[in-house]
Amino acid sequence: MSVPLVPKLLRAHLADLALNDSRLDDRGQWDGRDTKLETGILARAEGSAKVTMGDTIVLAGVKFQIMTPYPDRPNQGGLMCSCEVRPIAGRHWEAGPPSPQSIELGRVVDRGIRESGCIDVDELCIIPGEKAWQVILDLHAISDDGNLFDAFALAGIAALRDATIPAERFEIGEDTPLKVSKTPIMCSYHKVGGRFVYDASYREELGGDERIHITLGDDDHVHSLQKGLKGIFTAEEFDEIMEHAKARCAELREIVNG
Amino acid sequence: MGGYGDVQMIDENGLRMDGRKPGDVRPITIETGVVPVADGSCRMIWGTNEVIVAVYGPMEAHPRKIQRQDRAVLDVAYNMAPFSTTDRIRPGFNRRSREISKVTADALESVVLLELYPRSKIRIGIEIVSAEAGTRCVGLTAASVALADAGIPMTDLVVSVASGKINDVVVCDLNKEEDNYGEADLPMGVLPNTGELVFLQMDGDLSPDEFKQAWDYNMDAAMEVHKLMVEALKGGGN
Repeated sequence: MSVPLVPKLLRAHLADLALNDSRLDDRGQWDGRDTKLETGILARAEGSAKVTMGDTIVLAGVKFQIMTPYPDRPNQGGLMCSCEVRPIAGRHWEAGPPSPQSIELGRVVDRGIRESGCIDVDELCIIPGEKAWQVILDLHAISDDGNLFDAFALAGIAALRDATIPAERFEIGEDTPLKVSKTPIMCSYHKVGGRFVYDASYREELGGDERIHITLGDDDHVHSLQKGLKGIFTAEEFDEIMEHAKARCAELREIVNG
Repeated sequence: MGGYGDVQMIDENGLRMDGRKPGDVRPITIETGVVPVADGSCRMIWGTNEVIVAVYGPMEAHPRKIQRQDRAVLDVAYNMAPFSTTDRIRPGFNRRSREISKVTADALESVVLLELYPRSKIRIGIEIVSAEAGTRCVGLTAASVALADAGIPMTDLVVSVASGKINDVVVCDLNKEEDNYGEADLPMGVLPNTGELVFLQMDGDLSPDEFKQAWDYNMDAAMEVHKLMVEALKGGGN
C-alpha cells in the first residue's frame, strides 16, 4: 500500500465530529453500515460468499486440495486462510508482493476462524498418515471503503458454511457438506477523533489512530484479538468495546446462521 | 490445443454440447458501477465466466521513471482469483497473467486518447472471479466498458471474442470443454465502429478456409456483443 497523505484537515474534522458525537456519514459511534451477505455466488468455488458493507465489498471462496498430513499429526487435515488485496480494490492498494497490511489482514481473520475450532481437522483425514483434505479459504477484496477485516471474517465463515467437499471429483466417495460447528464473528474498532468507533470507513481509517479487532465465538468466547497501528488505549475503553462486540457479534451471527 | 479427436462435441444436428449453433455466443450480462470506490467499473458475466474490472485515474504516475512526458501510461493488471478455476490457483507471480496484462494494455493503448493526460497513469485492474474459457477476451471487453464508465476518452470500445475448431468444425466463442479438447483458438479484439483490430492471438491448426470462417464469426459476434455494451453504458449503472 502506498503511504497516503493524511491531511491534517481530515484529522481536525474527525476530531470536531467526535466532539459533537457525529461521524462523516452521520452514523452513531457504535452504528455499523448496512451489511448484506450472499452465499453460493461463485461458479468454480466449492463454497462462496459476498459481503457488502456500505461501499466495502469482498468475496470469499473455498477450495479443497489433497494433502499429506504432517508427521506429528497423521490424523489431521488442514485449514489455510489467505488474503489478497489487489489493485482493483482501491487506489491506495498497489500491485506486487503481499504488503504487511494484507498479510496482517489474512492472519487475523485466519486466527479467529481457526481458534474457534469451527472446523474439526480430524474429520478431514482420509487415510491416516497418507491423505487428508486441506481446506483453503481465499479472501478477495473488490472495493475497500474501510473495515476489510470484518467484511473478510464474515464472508470467510459464511463461505465455509456454504462449502461442499468435492470428493467425487477426486474419486474418494460422495460429495458431503463441510462440517462447520461454530460461527466466529469479528468486530473491529478504530480510534477516530480521540474515541473508538465501530466499523470505520476508509476516510476514518485514514484520519484515525489505532484499531482493535475482536473475534467472538458462540457463547461470547474470545477467539482472537489484535491491536494494530500506533496508539494507546485504556482498560475502560476495552471494556466498552467488548460489551458492544458481544451484542453486535450476536446480530451478525444471526445473519450467517439465518 | 489438446486435439483429442475422440471427444465428440458436436451432435448429429450440428449442435454443440451446450445447445449452441456453431456461430452462437454464450449468454452475456454487463453491469457498470459495481466497484463503488473506483472511477469506473464493470462486471461482465459471459457464460460462466465472471470478470470484475475497476479503473482508477488518470492519476499521478509514480515511481516517476514510469512517467511519459507526452502521454498517460496504462497500468493493466489481469489476475485470476485463486478460487476462479476447478483447481485452486496459487496467488502471486505468473507468466501467463503477465502476458495477458501486456497484450491487454497494448490493445487498450490503441484506443485510449493517452496524449490528453501527460505524465499520468490510468490503472485497470482485471479480476477473473470465475473462469470458464476466453477470460482474456472477457477481461479486455469488460476493461473497455469500465474505461468508458470512468469517462476516459477513447476512439472506440474494444470487443474481444475467440473462435476455434472442435471436431473439425469451426465454432464461435469456445466454452470450457471446447477450449480444452478443441483443435484451434483464435481470439481477436475488434473496434466495432470501423472493423479494425487491436488484439490478435492464435494457436492450433486452421486451414485457410477455416481461418476465414473463424475470423468472420468473431467479427459478427463482436458486433452483437457491442450492442450489449452500449446498452449497459447507456442504461445506468452509477
